[in-house]
Amino acid sequence: MPHFEKIEYKPIPVRELLLDMKNLSELMIDLAYSSALFNDKELAQEILELEERVDTLAYLLDMEIMVAARDPKDAEALVGVSIVAAATDKISDAAADIAGVVTHNIGVHPIVGAIFEKVEEHLTKATVKEGSAIAGKQIGKLDLASRMSVDIIAIRRNKDWIINPLDKERLLKGDILITRGAPQGVKDFKELAEGSLAQLEG
Amino acid sequence: MVTEQKRFEEIVECLVELKDTSELMLDLAYTSLLLNSRELAEEVQHLEEYVDNLHTHFELLALTSDFTKEEASGFLGLIRIGVATEKIADAAAEMAEVVLRGIEPHAVLKLAIKEAEETVAQACVTADSQLVDKTLKEARVHEETGMWVQVIKRNGKTVRPKGDSKILTGDVLIASGYAKGVDKLRKLASPQQTCQVE
Repeated sequence: MPHFEKIEYKPIPVRELLLDMKNLSELMIDLAYSSALFNDKELAQEILELEERVDTLAYLLDMEIMVAARDPKDAEALVGVSIVAAATDKISDAAADIAGVVTHNIGVHPIVGAIFEKVEEHLTKATVKEGSAIAGKQIGKLDLASRMSVDIIAIRRNKDWIINPLDKERLLKGDILITRGAPQGVKDFKELAEGSLAQLEG
Repeated sequence: MVTEQKRFEEIVECLVELKDTSELMLDLAYTSLLLNSRELAEEVQHLEEYVDNLHTHFELLALTSDFTKEEASGFLGLIRIGVATEKIADAAAEMAEVVLRGIEPHAVLKLAIKEAEETVAQACVTADSQLVDKTLKEARVHEETGMWVQVIKRNGKTVRPKGDSKILTGDVLIASGYAKGVDKLRKLASPQQTCQVE
């Protein structure tokens, strides 16, 4: 049986908890698809850990809502928040289910590659090569989201995964980056990272 | 062999559609909460029905494929991914249900949706915008800004645009995507920033 930690009430604003749950749940979907696409067990393991974090947030948020409701009117106003939070929790569960396919060695049929070629949002793995225009740069400075519609969702550095790296994170030679975004954008970004495209346009 | 190839292609198409639709639903569900829009919430419910049927179709396709014993595990993996997309679609439908039950989405919900990394934003289109008179496909909004146009508000009505829908002056575009693309979208829609919506 897994070990479940006791969760004690902490005064954290509902807005913050909800924001974390929304951000994490959506990030987890893309990370989970990436783990299946690239058959990466360690990345899948990270998702299972994130799922536990979302569970904890869900408990904290529910407690916060209970404390905040003083009368039936409050309860009516807050029930929607609780339902939406539960839905983000469900989404993170779905992501963990996908990750479980990878960690349990079930594996995904090779046609998964063809599937991810056709979906709207593409996922790519790129390695930062020596001499690349992005090596040594901070993510925030690259302005990837507005320039190429690309977002770096995870970095594999040495033996560790950095999930959802911050803007101030510097990209290093040898980093393996998982990106999501528009098909052309992620393709250009891969070329940029791997050195066959010299410069960011625009 | 040809028919087997075809079946594989159909499995691919089905899962692509399941994945894309489940994510679209999530965007629409958050948008329906942000705007307290019954129309969008209903759209999410319709899509949920569509996903349910598609998911059943997908599972049947996968199960009746002529796969080898070695391939069985890989097919199970695909089926599990399909189940996950359906679960995401369900979650989106549950969110939209809040709107349909007439519960005014709490301010804290709207705030969280606006402040999230993947957000929903509105932008109004002014006459000087390069978007005017272009179809959604020609406008390449996603390529330019990273935001997907989900809904167009025109004359008080909300329209779910298709690729060949034309963008007109005065339209309000409701788009989802990375928060970093919001400014770019607003500049594209209203270059002089003469029109702003909240």
